[in-house]
Amino acid sequence: MILYSLFENVLSWLFVLLGYATPLGIIFGLIGLTGFVEITRFEKGDSFYYKLNPVTKIVIGLVVTTMSAISIWWVGAALTAVLALSYLTLKNGVRKLALATLLTVSTVVATVQNFAPYTAAQTLVQAMKTKTLHGIWTWPAYFSFMGFQHSLTLEAVIYSLQISVRFTSITLAALILVLTTSPSGVLRALQKLGVPLPVTFALVVALRTVPRVFDSIEASMNSQFVRGLGSRDPSFLRPLHYARALISSVIPVLVFMLRGAKNTAISADTRAFRAYPRRTHRKPLAYSRLDIVTLSLLVSALALAVYAAAHGYGRAIPYVS
Amino acid sequence: MQNFAITVKDLVHRYPSGAGEALVVDDLTIREGEIVLVTGKSGSGKSTLVNCINGVIPHLFPGDSEIDQATHQGEVFVHGHPVSKTPLHVLSTIVGTLLQDPETQILNYDVEEEIAFGPENLCLLPDEINRRVNEAVRVTGIGHLLGKETYKLSGGELQRVMAAAVLAMTPRVFIFDEPTSNIDPAGTVALLDLMRTLRGKTVVIVEHKVERVLPFVDRVILMDNGRIVSDVPSASVIERADEFASYGVEVPEHYMYAKKIGLASADVGQVVSEMKKRKMIVAAVSRRTPAETVLRAQLKVFDGNSSLLDVRIALGKGEILAVMGRNGAGKSTMLKAIMGVLDRKLRGEVRLNAFGIELGNAGVAERGRYITYVPQNFDLTLVSRTVKEEVAYSPKKRGLKDWRTKVDNLLEMLSLTDQAEQDPLALSFGQRRRVALGSALASDVRVALLDEPTSGQDFSHREALGEELTHLAKMGYSFIVVTHDARFVYRHCDRVAVLSEGRLALDGTPEIVFENSEKYGVPPPTEYSLYRELSRS
Repeated sequence: MILYSLFENVLSWLFVLLGYATPLGIIFGLIGLTGFVEITRFEKGDSFYYKLNPVTKIVIGLVVTTMSAISIWWVGAALTAVLALSYLTLKNGVRKLALATLLTVSTVVATVQNFAPYTAAQTLVQAMKTKTLHGIWTWPAYFSFMGFQHSLTLEAVIYSLQISVRFTSITLAALILVLTTSPSGVLRALQKLGVPLPVTFALVVALRTVPRVFDSIEASMNSQFVRGLGSRDPSFLRPLHYARALISSVIPVLVFMLRGAKNTAISADTRAFRAYPRRTHRKPLAYSRLDIVTLSLLVSALALAVYAAAHGYGRAIPYVS
Repeated sequence: MQNFAITVKDLVHRYPSGAGEALVVDDLTIREGEIVLVTGKSGSGKSTLVNCINGVIPHLFPGDSEIDQATHQGEVFVHGHPVSKTPLHVLSTIVGTLLQDPETQILNYDVEEEIAFGPENLCLLPDEINRRVNEAVRVTGIGHLLGKETYKLSGGELQRVMAAAVLAMTPRVFIFDEPTSNIDPAGTVALLDLMRTLRGKTVVIVEHKVERVLPFVDRVILMDNGRIVSDVPSASVIERADEFASYGVEVPEHYMYAKKIGLASADVGQVVSEMKKRKMIVAAVSRRTPAETVLRAQLKVFDGNSSLLDVRIALGKGEILAVMGRNGAGKSTMLKAIMGVLDRKLRGEVRLNAFGIELGNAGVAERGRYITYVPQNFDLTLVSRTVKEEVAYSPKKRGLKDWRTKVDNLLEMLSLTDQAEQDPLALSFGQRRRVALGSALASDVRVALLDEPTSGQDFSHREALGEELTHLAKMGYSFIVVTHDARFVYRHCDRVAVLSEGRLALDGTPEIVFENSEKYGVPPPTEYSLYRELSRS
C-alpha cells in the first residue's frame, strides 16, 4: 500500500512536471530564443504573402480566428495545416516551417496540460457525446484545484487536443502578418482600420521590441548559467533550471526595457508623433488584384462557415442545439 | 530674444522622485549657428538641460497636460518659442534630438521608413515627404544604406540614419545627447563630420568624448551638480584644463601640457614641439608581463558557410588584454565563443584551454568554473534582491564552502559593503557595474571577459574601472576587455589585440599596436602620440 502510494505520488508529480517541462523544453531547447526572434521578425520577401496589402493579412487573421472559433475542431486543424504549409512560401521557408511546427507542438502540449485535467466530466459527456469516460490517471486529493478533481480521462485529452488546434491556427495566422509585414506597414493598416494611433504605435513598438526582449532574456539567462546555475545538478533537471533562469530574468529585463522605453518615447515624440490624430504616408497603401481575390475567398469561406454553423453543420459546440 | 537660438531664464527643475534641484540655470543664451559642447560628470544635469531645451521636459516628463510649478519653474525660449507653452510637435520642427542609444531610437524596419517617420507624423504630402527624405539622405551621406533593414546596421550607421531622420524634420536647432557613446571610432568620426555639414544650424552636443569633440565646437559649457560652473570658448579650455579635470571631465593630455608650458594652441604638433624644446619627457605607462599563460583559445565561428571569426588568442596571469576593432570585427563574438554562449544560428569550432584544462567541448556551466563573462548590458545579470545575494549567487550555486567570507571580502574590495542589503538595480551606474563584476568574480574565477565595460561611461567612471581592474590584476585576476576607448587601453591595459573582419590583425603592447592600428579603425589616443613623439626626442 505504501509502495503504491509512493508510486502514485511520484508518477503524479512526473506527469505534472512533464506537462510543463515539455513545452518549455521545446521552446528553449529546440526553438531557442534566437528561433523566437526569427519567427517574430519581419524579413523582406517576394512571395504571395509579401505582396498582399497588410489590411488583407489582418483580415486573414480575423477570418481564421472566427472560423476556428465557430466551427468544428477539424476546421481549426485543417487551417493549422494549411497555414503551416504556407510558411514554405516565406523567406527561409523551411526553417520558418520547422520553427512554426515546434511552436504548434508546444502550444498543443501546453493546452492539453492546462485543459485536460481540469475539464469537468459533464462538459466531456456533452462535448464527446458519450456516457462513458475512460480514466487514465487520478491525482491525489491535494492536487485538486478550485473544486476540480484533478483527474485525466481519454476523452479529456481528445477534447483538449480539439481545443488546441483552434489556438494554433490563430497563432500561425497572426505570425504570418508579423513575418511578412514591416512594422510601418502594420501601422498603416491598423490606421486604415480606424485603430487609434497610440494603440497602433504601441503594437508597432512591441513588434520592434520583441527581438530585443528575447536577446535580453538570453543574455540574462546565460549570465546565470555562466555563474553556475544548475552546475551541480543532473542534466535531466535542465528544463527546470531553464524555467528558473527565465523567471529570474524577468525583473532585470523589464527594468532594462523600461530604461530603453524612455528613449523610444523621446525619439517618437521629438519627431512629432501624435501631432495629429492621423498620419500621411510616403507610399500610400494600395490594393492589388491579388488582394481582391484573396479577400473574396476569405469572405466566401467565412460566409460558408457562418452558414454551416447557423444550420447546425460542424458547430464548434455541438451539444448546443 | 529673437537674436538667440536658445535663451534660458531662471530655470529650475526638480524630478518628482529627487530630493533637490536637478537643474538650476539662471541665464544662458546660445546664438544661432553656434556649436556648443555641454560636458560634465554623469548626473551633472547635462541631459536635463537639453531635455528642457527640446521640450521633453516638461511635456513628456513629468507630464504634458499640466506643468507642475513645484517641479518646473522658469522658461526656455527656442527661436522665441516658450518651450513650456509650445506643443511638443511644434517644437519638434524647431529642435531635433539625437540620443545616445541608436537601438532604442529606431522605430521602423527600413532606413527610408525611419527617415520618413517624422514628416509622416506632420501629415505632409507624399511628394514633400520624399523630398525631405532624399535631402536628409544627401546631407548625411547615407545613400548606400537606402533599402537596408535597420536591425542589420552597425551602431554608427544607425546613428547616421537617426541623424537623417532628425534632419528630415528641418529643425533649426540640433541636440546631440551623447550620440557617440555606443559606436566605434570610425562611426564617431563620421558622425562628428556630419556636424560640419550642419554649419549654420545651432548645435548643442552633450558628450563625454571631449577629446574627439573639441575641434568641432565653438564653446564649452561645464556642468556640475545641476549648475553651469564654466562657460567658455573652446579655445579657452586649455587655460581652464585643471578646472575641467577637477570636475571629472576628460581633458586631453596635451591640453594639460599646453597649459603647463603656457601654450594657447591645442595642436598636438605644436605642443610636442614646445615640449621637445623644453626637454620635457612623458613617462611611459608600466605594463605587466605575465609569467604564465592561463588561457589559450583557438576560435572559429561560422554563419552558414561564411567564416565570421578565426583567431588564436592567449591570456597571461594578471594581464589585462584589450580587444579593439571596428563594429562587426568579431570582438563580442570572440568573447561569446570563449564562453560558449554563441547565437544559436552560429556554428563554433572552439579549442579552449584554461589553467591546463581542456574546455573546448565543455558546456557553459563548466566553462564558468574557470572563466566568467560580463555582457555589455550588465544590468541584465542582476537577478537577485540584494547586492549581497547577487555577489553570493555564483559561490552558492557552485557550492563553495567558505562563500560568506569570499563575498564579504569582495564587497569590501569593490566598496559595496554599505550597499550590501540594497536592491542592485536601484544603485548608481558605477555601483551596478561593480556588483556585476563582483558577482562574476565571486566563485574564485580568475579570468573575466568584459564586453564594452567603458561604453557610455564618463571619464571618472572609466578611470575607476581601470583602477579596479588594475587592482584585481595585481591580485592575479586576468581580463579580456572589449572596448573602443583607446585612452582607457593606453592607460590601463597591458596588451591590445586588434581584430579586423574576424581575424587578428595586431597583437602587442599598446605602444606597439597603436603604431599601426589606425588603418584597422582604431585611432591612437593623443596621450600615446605625445609619448611616441617625446620618447624619440
